[in-house]
Amino acid sequence: MQRSSLIGMILLLLLATGEANAHAMLDHAEPRVGNKVASPPREVTLWFTQKLEQAFSTITVTNAAGQRVDSGKTRVSGSQMSVSLRSGGTGTYHVNWHVLSVDTHTTDGNFTFQVGE
Amino acid sequence: MSIRLLRAGLPGLAIALVPLTTSHAHEIVGNRFFPATLGIDDPGVNDELSLPTVDSFKTGDIPPVRQRDISGEFSKRITEDFAISFGSTYTFLGPIDPTAAGANGFQNLETTFKYRVFKDPVHEFVMSVGLSVEWGGTGSANIGAESFNVYTPTLYFGKGWGDLPDTLSWLRPVAITGQVGYAIPGKRSITTFGIDPDTGDQTIDTEFNPRVLNWGGSIQYSMPYLKSAVVDLGLPDFVNRLIPLVEANLQTPISNTLTSGTTTTGTINPGVIWAGNKFQFGVEALIPINRQSGSNVGVIAQLHFYLDDIDPNGIGKPIFGNAVSPARPFVRN
Repeated sequence: MQRSSLIGMILLLLLATGEANAHAMLDHAEPRVGNKVASPPREVTLWFTQKLEQAFSTITVTNAAGQRVDSGKTRVSGSQMSVSLRSGGTGTYHVNWHVLSVDTHTTDGNFTFQVGE
Repeated sequence: MSIRLLRAGLPGLAIALVPLTTSHAHEIVGNRFFPATLGIDDPGVNDELSLPTVDSFKTGDIPPVRQRDISGEFSKRITEDFAISFGSTYTFLGPIDPTAAGANGFQNLETTFKYRVFKDPVHEFVMSVGLSVEWGGTGSANIGAESFNVYTPTLYFGKGWGDLPDTLSWLRPVAITGQVGYAIPGKRSITTFGIDPDTGDQTIDTEFNPRVLNWGGSIQYSMPYLKSAVVDLGLPDFVNRLIPLVEANLQTPISNTLTSGTTTTGTINPGVIWAGNKFQFGVEALIPINRQSGSNVGVIAQLHFYLDDIDPNGIGKPIFGNAVSPARPFVRN
């Protein structure tokens, strides 16, 4: 077997073995990251690239005044995670998320979106 | 370590000191993902495989020599913060003068011990220290592999600009990385004995092996960071995975420079990295900073695998201790 073929097989094997194990990463969000919506949304929903575990997967949202406006009850379904919001007025909302994927890896991040104005 | 000094023994040609890349890593600090850069090493520690890295350029010799390299490097975490990497490079030297002979062979094997000493996710700052050892005599002498070890202690750092104020949010995807190393040859000099072809007298040539400052940095703009943490512009997925960057990879002889001189050599490397979920691909131009660094614009490309993502419960986790998963809050393939 040629060396190049052997290297190719090794690389394919490496990729194949981890097919279900990559980290859960933010794919997109609603409201979209950094974008503006006319009125306060009823919920924030995040989509990830991997399935999530309910435990330890959370979203917190604060309004422009720094007050928490999320319900505190994050819902997880497959690779999707949502939290309901109370009305927090206009301004910049801050979203912080933390997830545990099914392969036990954790990831976290944050972003903002604008309401009104 | 990402910089090696090559002195080729191609007959009739004096090969200048040229940079060569062999070792890379990637790192995640809070919102920030530092990709594996091609010219210098990134500031972090991880499980990864760079295979292959290929480059092609003309050296700064007169006449120049076409140098092509293909290299691989494997890095394994021993603990969460400590990794050992092994790298090897095969070099092809082809003289521009068709009547001159070429040469090819392996360069010396290289091992790097790297420890992450500080990590601040909030400010996206990370710093590591390392020691690279180029094992003398393990490569081929006809392409210039040295017969002695070279030890290079190095400091690495990275800083993301994610903590900039809202008024500068478009600059938050920017990050800078850097490294400063000091290459210490195991032998101060090499003396060779010969016969003068004209007089028949015995000659003695002494070449002093300089201690070299290996320094460089990168500035990069992360489109994944822009999408996941600043603003989702609805751009095509391919664009959202790009990280355009410019690297500088430089070497300055500091001491024992009697025969080497003290001229700084190196390249400026503009390019782009496409970062997927399990691998990345990068390509950069190699622009020599002066005539001693090269005689044309070269190119370097690399395929790099994130073993911590490919097999997080096997080869992609530290040998001792549990893997503490990094935050990687943006989409990668």
